[in-house]
Amino acid sequence: MGAEPVIRLRELKKTYVVSEREPGLRAALAGLVHRRKSEVRAVDGISFDLVPGEIVGFLGPNGAGKTTTLKMLSGLLHPTSGELSVLSYVPWKRDPAFLRQITLVMGQRNQLIWDIPPADSFELNRAIYRIPPADYRRTLDELVALLEIEPLLGKPVRNLSLGERMKCEIAAALLHSPAVVFLDEPTIGLDVTMQRRIRTFIAEYSRRHGATVLLTSHYMADVEALCKRVIVIHHGLLLFDGELAALVQRFTADKTIVVQLKDCAADLRAYGEVLSCEDGRTTLRVPKAETARVTGRILAEFPVIDLTVEDPPIEEVIERVFAQGAA
Amino acid sequence: MKGLADLYLQQLKTGVASIVQYRATLVIWLIGNILEPLIYLVVWSTVARSTGGTVGGYGAGDFAAYYIVLMLVNQVTFTWVMYEFDYRIREGTFSADLLHPVHPIHADIAENLSSKAVSLPFIVVAAAGLAAIFHPAFKLSLLAAAAFVPALVLAFLVRFLVDWMVALAAFWTTRVTAINQIHYMAVLFFSGQIAPLTVLPRPLQVVANILPFRWTIGFPVELALGRLTPIQVLTGFAAQAAWLLAAALLLKLAWRVSVKRYSAVGA
Amino acid sequence: MRFLRLLGVFLRVGVMGEAAYPANFLAHLIDSALELGTALAGLALIFAHTATLGGWRPEELIALVGVYFLVGGVIGLVIQPGMEQLTESVRDGTLDFTLTKPADAQFLVSVWRVEIWKMVDVGLGLVVLGIALARLGERVGLAQAAAFVAALVAGGVIVYSFWLILATTAFWLVRVENVLVIFQSVYEAGRWPVSIYPGWLRFALTFLVPVAFAITVPAQAIAGRLTWPALLGAAGFAAALFAAARLFWRIGVRHYSGASS
Repeated sequence: MGAEPVIRLRELKKTYVVSEREPGLRAALAGLVHRRKSEVRAVDGISFDLVPGEIVGFLGPNGAGKTTTLKMLSGLLHPTSGELSVLSYVPWKRDPAFLRQITLVMGQRNQLIWDIPPADSFELNRAIYRIPPADYRRTLDELVALLEIEPLLGKPVRNLSLGERMKCEIAAALLHSPAVVFLDEPTIGLDVTMQRRIRTFIAEYSRRHGATVLLTSHYMADVEALCKRVIVIHHGLLLFDGELAALVQRFTADKTIVVQLKDCAADLRAYGEVLSCEDGRTTLRVPKAETARVTGRILAEFPVIDLTVEDPPIEEVIERVFAQGAA
Repeated sequence: MKGLADLYLQQLKTGVASIVQYRATLVIWLIGNILEPLIYLVVWSTVARSTGGTVGGYGAGDFAAYYIVLMLVNQVTFTWVMYEFDYRIREGTFSADLLHPVHPIHADIAENLSSKAVSLPFIVVAAAGLAAIFHPAFKLSLLAAAAFVPALVLAFLVRFLVDWMVALAAFWTTRVTAINQIHYMAVLFFSGQIAPLTVLPRPLQVVANILPFRWTIGFPVELALGRLTPIQVLTGFAAQAAWLLAAALLLKLAWRVSVKRYSAVGA
Repeated sequence: MRFLRLLGVFLRVGVMGEAAYPANFLAHLIDSALELGTALAGLALIFAHTATLGGWRPEELIALVGVYFLVGGVIGLVIQPGMEQLTESVRDGTLDFTLTKPADAQFLVSVWRVEIWKMVDVGLGLVVLGIALARLGERVGLAQAAAFVAALVAGGVIVYSFWLILATTAFWLVRVENVLVIFQSVYEAGRWPVSIYPGWLRFALTFLVPVAFAITVPAQAIAGRLTWPALLGAAGFAAALFAAARLFWRIGVRHYSGASS
């Protein structure tokens, strides 16, 4: 039926112990001798499967546990408890055969060496991953073409803009044609055009190579463009795992009605929460159940030029999911 | 004036708190400041013993006394402003400092003193330890005891001003390491660190008397050891005062010129 | 072998980085020449007052200074940059990239940075050694040369292991760059033969901060003062310290990965 899962998590947990100190000179001197500790549950028992070729979005506010989970999946962190397997390997054992099939890209952190051109960092990766020359040439040419980084290859990395650097980072990370790709906030800090280009690249790359992609992001646009399936995490717990559309469905209690009238003179407050009105274009928020009734009444009682019914913006939905999770 | 005192007090408090935070830096400087005099102590004592007598008027025990006192004097007077400046200019934090109504040197002095407040006890312990091991020959004298503290204070000020001025080179060139190296060499040879000044060949001794470095380390040390005649002590104080004045004036000038250049060239 | 190939790539990359700045080489040449001048001036000062220092003759001490610069150069060339980069990578999290690579992480962090202009120090050291050898004349034969090379290798392994142990503490401490500077401060003591220091200091400079193995022992070899038991002892210590450093490194990585101990 379904394919064998390539990533498997069961009740995965990760707890940290941190030391803290109060401000002030007394505490500073006391800190020389003894530090107070407390426990933080970064990941508190999550479970999911990924099948080959999936592109899954991993959403959550800062500190939700996304990066921690990603680090456990790539073998950087030992879980505190639970089951975890990627490509049938136990990640934290860091078997070289496993490491050769995965890759990790972290937004705003570079593996490219700062003072030299990306081409040389690529050579380094070629040696480290023992990529056969023919495969290397082919993959490199494809990545260079898809990412349009030909003119950048000879310039030292420190001379590249943030977006150019990110494109080269991604190329460096994919030279060894990994089966599993972990992307941790890859578009953070980039301008809108660059974000779009990288999204297009990820979609195309995954389509061509069947790589499994797990992507964390703040930007809904990333998730909307790339992921059919989203996993929402907050306070180390899974809040939702399913299709984006279903997420919106489940977590919105409201719909947005946009009514175009001649002007803003009419008072529509009786029909719902008026969010804005400009040149007669009124935006109303209405409970889902009321949508049909309110729409009918407005159409009957006002000279409506145009009327549309929309879902609220996904950012709002996600915020509501987080707020619910926090409660 | 009250504002300045306030500044020093605040700086001292934050200085001590941050030092306590960065215990490692404290230890590193301590190790260097104990080890260097110790090395020369051993080297020169060995030389003195092998010649069976004295070198430049110092026997093995005299060398021990010299370098133990030098360790203390050096710890009280040393600065690290050269390294600070290079960092500050590269990071652009000088721009913030220039906006302050008070001359940045005050913050630097306060930071320097607060760091030493924490490290001085350790140096004293180290000095005591070395004294127990190396049997230094001390000649205590009332004159020495009375004159030592003022000489030390003047030495600190002269050294700080001179170091600060040399550090200003960072405004003018990125190749500060060569300048720092030359400065370090000059201090090493002409302040009495590599050897007590009477051990140096005559021509170098003459140069040492002209440069300011002797008055920042060698003079207070020789004074404390009772090796100076009253006339020499007075001449020493005069030299210190003269250098203090000269350094202060030169610094004022150099600072003005450097700030102008910094503002012109940009951060 | 695979490691050699990777080492070659890193060396090439190291040359790329600095080769764009020939001005750097000149600047470093000046700095190192000044330092060398200071060291030799110090020796001149000493030998104006005595014929030997702790039994060491002037040309033997010149050889010592040569080794000081040679070894210092090698440390600055490949050991120090790598370890400094390691502490930084632990701090900013870029070590994660290294740990997801299918190559031994300890090897990667040991060779990944090369400060190529430090070849200047190595060159200067060799020149000074050459001068010393000329003055030592026929007293240096094949046996001394072989012992010298062996002592250098043992010293190198010991110094590398020491640096690795220091840098590995970065997994637990925060501001470790300062800890690395300990070696710099103490290395100065190596400009003089460790035998002149009192026993407790000699011990510290041999087994706590292994400056003696790095400089004095190879210099002794060249001067024909090194006994075979001492050389064997150095080799044994090198093997033991290397094993200890590797073990500590693995413990550090486990800690970094949050493995419960």
